[in-house]
Amino acid sequence: MTSSALAGYLIVSGLLLTIGLIGFLVRRNLIVMFLCTELMFQGAAVAFVAIGRYLFDYSGQVMVIFILTVAAAEAALALALVVLLHRQRDTLDADAYGELYE
Amino acid sequence: MDLFLPYIACLTLVLALFVALRPTSLSLRIFMIVVGVSAAGWLIGLVTGSLSVFGDVSQGLFFFIFSVCAVAASLRMITHDRPVYSALYFVLVVLSTAGLFLLLEAEFMAFALIIVYAGAILITYMFVLMLANQSTDSNELDSRATYDRVPREPAAAVGVGFLLLCLITGTVIGGSSSMPTQGSEQSQWATLEHLPKQFQASVLELDSTFPWPPISSPQGNMIRHEGDESYIVSSEGKTLVLPDELLPRNTQQVGWSLVNEFPVSLELAGVILLMAMFGAAILARRAIEIGEREKQKILLGNETESEEGNSGDQS
Repeated sequence: MTSSALAGYLIVSGLLLTIGLIGFLVRRNLIVMFLCTELMFQGAAVAFVAIGRYLFDYSGQVMVIFILTVAAAEAALALALVVLLHRQRDTLDADAYGELYE
Repeated sequence: MDLFLPYIACLTLVLALFVALRPTSLSLRIFMIVVGVSAAGWLIGLVTGSLSVFGDVSQGLFFFIFSVCAVAASLRMITHDRPVYSALYFVLVVLSTAGLFLLLEAEFMAFALIIVYAGAILITYMFVLMLANQSTDSNELDSRATYDRVPREPAAAVGVGFLLLCLITGTVIGGSSSMPTQGSEQSQWATLEHLPKQFQASVLELDSTFPWPPISSPQGNMIRHEGDESYIVSSEGKTLVLPDELLPRNTQQVGWSLVNEFPVSLELAGVILLMAMFGAAILARRAIEIGEREKQKILLGNETESEEGNSGDQS
């Protein structure tokens, strides 16, 4: 694998990360916001595996296992919170919970 | 490499995304997504140079197809105004990423990604979406919620995204020439020495007369390397060249790396999953309690309402 090929994989990972970030900032639906964080996780995973392959180091793929762990834990907790909030307010709009910080 | 053209590609991508995020007509949004995907493809092409840098033109072609699919699906995912379709487009992103992993010879991670993400996490998301997204007023023609159609601060978000994308692009292009030298394939053989039973069995299968064990080199490795060839030497001076089929498979390599280099992290991952399970269970339990308290409120009437309301606020 040449360094140009690695640069290609890193650009794809950067694109996924950026699109995930824009989506997280723009969307107002709580569930879609959490989906966008999963998209950012995907970008990080691509970078890990590509660099691991470039250096013949399997730690990169091990990091993806941990990313999967964190994503699963985050999905379980975040979705439980979303269901809880939805029962109280009957909406998924993130702006509806704006007074939580008061 | 000149950074002007890549930055133009980044700018085109985020501007197209800005238009596609706003609540305009569907055809204009689709067109803008096509423009954004073309800009992303152009950017990838500018950075990689040619398809042959992947060693093989067909591999380069597959890389291009998978990465454009991933970017297109992710763009459609954040612009779609129905959350269920967003989740389905995210499945497409996961599948494209799994394709990229296959190209990177990470077979185990590719299928683990499909099973865990597309199989488990996305089902949880779909479940919650179906649970929470019930449209209450069905006589309305457009059942899509306003908060799904109208974005929040698209200009600011796209500006931040443009800065981040430019930073990543500049770093990748500037750093790709000075990246550390590629590791050697020889390091892959080292794992085999840590699997003595498999090592012995596969060597004896290759040559049943080989006197086990082989003697170590002065560096302490049983497997020696010369050029592209890897071989072992017995105490009688017999040499056996190891074919590439003897290399540990991807799953073995990842498993060895996991338990050898990150044993504490593995335990911590288990603790994180356990805590997430506890947290989800406790959150769900509290939700039922709130329901019961409200039920009691209705049953008991107005006398205890103020007290119950106070205790409810505190919890």
